[in-house]
Amino acid sequence: MTTLHPEPAHEQKGEIELRHHFDDELDELRRGLVEMLSLVAENTRRSGEVVVENRLDLVDAVIDADDPIDKICRNLEHRTFEILALQQPVASDLRFLVAMTRALYEAERSGDLAVNIAKRTAAQNGFPQHPQIQGLLARLVDESAKVFESAVEAVATLDPEIGMGAEEADDIVDTITERFFGNIHAHSQEIGLECAVELSHVGRFLERIADHGVNIAQNITYVMTGSFPDTEPSSPSS
Amino acid sequence: MVNEMNDTVGAATHEPSAYERARRDLPGLAAKTEALPDTAVAPTASEADNANPVILNVENLNVYYGDFHAVKDVSLPFRQNEITALIGPSGCGKSTVLRTFNRMNDLIESARIEGKVEYHGVDLYGKNVDPVEVRRHVGMVFQKPNPFPKSIYDNISFGPKIGGFKGNMDDLVEETLHKAALWEEVKDKLNESAYALSGGQQQRLCIARAIATSPDVLLMDEPASALDPIATLRIEELMYELKRDYSIIIVTHNMQQAARVSDRTAFFSVEVGERGQRTGRLVEFNETSKIFTTPMEQETEDYITGRFG
Repeated sequence: MTTLHPEPAHEQKGEIELRHHFDDELDELRRGLVEMLSLVAENTRRSGEVVVENRLDLVDAVIDADDPIDKICRNLEHRTFEILALQQPVASDLRFLVAMTRALYEAERSGDLAVNIAKRTAAQNGFPQHPQIQGLLARLVDESAKVFESAVEAVATLDPEIGMGAEEADDIVDTITERFFGNIHAHSQEIGLECAVELSHVGRFLERIADHGVNIAQNITYVMTGSFPDTEPSSPSS
Repeated sequence: MVNEMNDTVGAATHEPSAYERARRDLPGLAAKTEALPDTAVAPTASEADNANPVILNVENLNVYYGDFHAVKDVSLPFRQNEITALIGPSGCGKSTVLRTFNRMNDLIESARIEGKVEYHGVDLYGKNVDPVEVRRHVGMVFQKPNPFPKSIYDNISFGPKIGGFKGNMDDLVEETLHKAALWEEVKDKLNESAYALSGGQQQRLCIARAIATSPDVLLMDEPASALDPIATLRIEELMYELKRDYSIIIVTHNMQQAARVSDRTAFFSVEVGERGQRTGRLVEFNETSKIFTTPMEQETEDYITGRFG
């Protein structure tokens, strides 16, 4: 990889590096996004606790945690917009800022889904504890959160490889989701129809959070390589 | 709002950020994509098929001024009815290359070229080629508006007259001024001095003068750098109109101008030799939309994003 450019030409020429201030601005945006994504990842785990362990005492905490997430989101959107307007970014700078706006949307949506999970659990006053269903739900929470957390890592490290492997990680989530739905269906009489419907929603929300994570990680691949990883058509369930 | 963000993400440090480190380690997309065989960045065959025919073809062009090697090994195709922009830092040879296309370098005693410059397949530096004839087909517009100290009318009619134009001169002048988007502004003062016009109008008059002899290639060397933003946009709009009839090659320092008007962009850079001699060379040539979104070479990236240069 380094054979084409053993040493950046500018260093050989001893020319000065320009646009430090602009680099700082871009990096502040990136760190803001990491901050926001971390909060969403945390809240996903927290909403998982609410739904898996019927921790109704945490519902308010999940709902409240979304406010700072939205606030950071609006702030980052505003600053991204300003930079687009004022700096005429091109090439990797432009790709980064476009990826930023996409990632903000994905992250904001994910945050809302975590809130929805907590709210649905609260509306049911907790879900009946069914060992198989709870077991799969716990795994689904864990795997979805993992996919989202790897997206946080992708933004934090600007590692394009994470986005390239994201689809595979998401396949695990999709498989568990399918099994989760199958189990809900099989046990719908025991847990009741309303509860089955609500649990299906929760399953879908978790699967979506993972999807958003995949998109965020793939956007980092786009920033760093100039193209998106080859994506296979996603499973019919989504 | 900005201060608030600083609190949440921590103040900027002087250490190289992850973003800076990552972009510094980024070896350019050419190298990157080599490692990623699945991600196609190269133009597809169908894109190449749909391209306009090549009107001017440069192969292994080297330009010397005496011992000084000004431009090294440039190969570039220029296509019909397209605008091609040549960009790069000062001294990268872009203007030198441009001047070889209508043999303007002939006027410099020590200048000589190696390699081929073919116009419709004819070697422009061939033995029997008359440079004056070349300039009739390949017109030029310069950085500073340089109308003749004559009337507006005479500025347009001068070239055709010495070229032996036999048609109706009034019609030709009007048609040419229409093409240069100047007619409405000057139709009532055709006999006034060209110097009475504004800078932007003078430049459009020079463009009109260049197209009056019906060339099919127009060379523009920084045509808008002496103009204000509105006059600049007029020139750019005009270029867009003109490419229906002409093929345009523009040298510009204004990268956003290249991004706005051109179909393809060639990026030149300077190579510093052992004895400090500076030789221009072509780094990357591609569709303008590719150059400004996904350049293949790190040098291009650094220049167009303003990091180095």
